[in-house]
Amino acid sequence: MRTLEGIVTVVQEGRFLLTTDDGSTHLLILSHAAAAEPHQLAALQRAQSRVRATCRPAPDLIGWVVRRLDVLEATA
Amino acid sequence: MSVTAERSVQAVHVHPRARDYPGSFLDGVIPNESELTCGTRIEPGKSYGFFTDTTLCIGCKACEVACKEWNALPADSVGFTGMSYDNTGGLSANTWRHVAFIEKRGPTGTRQTDQDAFQSGWLMMSDVCKHCHNAPCLEACPTGALFRTEFDTVVVQQDICNGCGYCVPACPFGVVDLNPLDGKAHKCTLCYDRLKGGLEPACAKACPTDSIQFGEVPELQARAEQRVEQLQSLGVAGAHLYGAPGGEGATGGLGHLNAFFLLTERPETYGLPPAPTRPANRVAPGLLAGLATMAGLALGALALLGGGRR
Repeated sequence: MRTLEGIVTVVQEGRFLLTTDDGSTHLLILSHAAAAEPHQLAALQRAQSRVRATCRPAPDLIGWVVRRLDVLEATA
Repeated sequence: MSVTAERSVQAVHVHPRARDYPGSFLDGVIPNESELTCGTRIEPGKSYGFFTDTTLCIGCKACEVACKEWNALPADSVGFTGMSYDNTGGLSANTWRHVAFIEKRGPTGTRQTDQDAFQSGWLMMSDVCKHCHNAPCLEACPTGALFRTEFDTVVVQQDICNGCGYCVPACPFGVVDLNPLDGKAHKCTLCYDRLKGGLEPACAKACPTDSIQFGEVPELQARAEQRVEQLQSLGVAGAHLYGAPGGEGATGGLGHLNAFFLLTERPETYGLPPAPTRPANRVAPGLLAGLATMAGLALGALALLGGGRR
């Protein structure tokens, strides 16, 4: 497991882009085991919320599977 | 705008409204932008779809990339498939557009070693969800997650999908797929969010040859008929439509396909079923056969038990 911290910039269904402080963007997929639902992601994107995602590399995909999503601060 | 610039705008048949936006940088989204990019104003209540002219496809995969970019879909099947130039493989939960590369075979079934000048031995087709008029996936969905939108397209609502997977075998084209990571069904939405914003779907907008054309379905069907006539007059005898009303691909109660294709070979060559059907067609015969079997077994049991008592 790895943790990524950053801003939710783009949301599509249960997938979202997370831009970290170094400027790099990662594609994350909300796991079915995560304590969050796809419809909650849109609000995080609108608020430009800073989140911490606990995730693992997705098998055979260029992306990460999120098991836990913590909202650190909402800037709007 | 100068006279020269005005002439150049007219020369390439740009929509008159495009003159309202001469700059490279815009303050915001252009209202009804699809009018400028594909000549279609997107309005709820009308039927929209794709006409894919495979004779124009050059296999650039711009549609695949545009789809992945807009829908934030991850790159999948990381590695080399070894399947000619097709490293995508097929449609999946993470790939909603797939450009098929088919190398034509000679009459004996082997690859041709000589060819006429300027002729291509390759068939290319950008495959996608067909957004069927009578969509089997929608009929099979027990939760109502799959629904028909105000633009006559078929979309999966992610917050309602419970991942049962009934839609997967129901689709006669093998389009819908479950993602084991999030446990939900995924497929092309015909860029539902873009349509709501007055934007042309990403794949059609990115297509450099207009092989993928977006518009109102009746208008696209008329345009496609004209294109078939044009190709046949030029000597392409095999040009025909797949998914147009009453034609090949629109069989088995599917009605018609909102995303239909112009093909030059048999549909099997492109990996399309020649006569797709709705699984719902088999419910009544299956139910009747089950009831008849039950009745037959009951009669047999009665005859055996009745005979034993005598």
